[in-house]
Amino acid sequence: MFALRRWWTRHALKAGMVTLAISSAWLMRANDGAVIYETYHWLTRPLQPGMSREQQFENSYILELQQRIVELENQNRSLQTLNDYEAANPLDGVRATVIGRGADHWWQHIVLNRGSRNDVATGHVVTGPGGLIGRVVAVSPSTSRVLLISDPTSRVGAKVSRSRAMGVVRGQSNNRVVMEFFEKLPDVKAGDVIVTSSYSRLFPQDIPIGRIESIDLTKSPAPEAVIQVSSPLSILEWAIIHPFEPQETVDLPVLPGATPENGLVPESGDGARP
Amino acid sequence: MSLGVRASSLPLWRQPWVINSLATAASVLVCLLLLPSRIPGMELLGVAPHWLLIWVVAWSIKRTQWEAAVAGLVLGLLQDAMTSPNPTHTLSLIVVGVLTARLQKQRYLQEDIVSVALIVFAMAVIAETVLALQISFDQLVSANSLYPPLGRIWIYHQRVALSSAILSSLWAPALYYPLNHWWERYAAEP
Repeated sequence: MFALRRWWTRHALKAGMVTLAISSAWLMRANDGAVIYETYHWLTRPLQPGMSREQQFENSYILELQQRIVELENQNRSLQTLNDYEAANPLDGVRATVIGRGADHWWQHIVLNRGSRNDVATGHVVTGPGGLIGRVVAVSPSTSRVLLISDPTSRVGAKVSRSRAMGVVRGQSNNRVVMEFFEKLPDVKAGDVIVTSSYSRLFPQDIPIGRIESIDLTKSPAPEAVIQVSSPLSILEWAIIHPFEPQETVDLPVLPGATPENGLVPESGDGARP
Repeated sequence: MSLGVRASSLPLWRQPWVINSLATAASVLVCLLLLPSRIPGMELLGVAPHWLLIWVVAWSIKRTQWEAAVAGLVLGLLQDAMTSPNPTHTLSLIVVGVLTARLQKQRYLQEDIVSVALIVFAMAVIAETVLALQISFDQLVSANSLYPPLGRIWIYHQRVALSSAILSSLWAPALYYPLNHWWERYAAEP
């Protein structure tokens, strides 16, 4: 008992400090670092970028428009054959500036300067010049953290706009993403436009992602294509956050072998549609 | 921290241990705020210096392994808060802290810019390796892991570890010097 008391008088301060440090760090973790990002937001406020590198963004924007046109043409064509066509909801959203990047080397995150005060919530979809960028994974009152589609853990249900061949787009930590097809012999060729598919639960359909750069049909277990993302993810300076309710509970059958995450539930025979 | 009792006649905010801990906490905050920023000149292949790692090394160089482990735990939790708690950063920062504290510095290394930079270089590689091991483990164990196949993880690991190590070791003195100076002054004062 005496030893304990002596220990306490000698180390009370230290023990208190350690407990305080660990518990506050834990608290910080519990609310996703909101305090840190808030401080970061207020500190970087004067530095947040205006309009620069406009040329590059304009080019990306033109590319996006071209891809949207390709997508619209294809939709028009399939509209004539489909009865159950569902109009994609028009997207309107909040414009936000990119104020930070991932706080770590393994995650591809960006930090935007709009948060719950502007009605941004987890699950909202983020697009920018060039098309899809990612989705919001954490919000604080005035910032939000976006998981980019180039993150290795990101999965996006996607389709080839021309042939409606379905697949999953996975990130690779750079400006190329990989699309895995569900079929053994998908109808694709280099240059095809990739858009989000209607089976994606986390993203609305028909947002441009990029263009196919190369295809590896011999890849096992599924044929793969390398896609050049049309949005300049590494130099992004602004983005638009669109409200979107992810449909987390879709109890449709999932293809064996298909990755469950952003879940695309391909229906058999759909890819064969013209 | 070690001189709390002696100076207790001063008001609380003037006591050395309060000032010292406030300054220490402020330095951690600065590191945290530097993490998401990509200031020109602090970026290589999209990778920024690992400020928390530099801080843990600076802290652990002259402390016991337990103090180092606690610092690693706290800063790891903070980094988890800012990215994603799975895989956790606490493990890699604890390993870095303990290894730095246990290093036989008096035998192999002197205390100068070069050796601090060298320690940070090695520790950055170790920290990224611990993370990559966690990711690989997750990939091997869970059937529907979100992570890419092992080959890709380790190719990415090479790139990240090398650029993080180079940048962190180059920027290490910028953080190590003021911190070390401060802690030395406060330890020597009474």
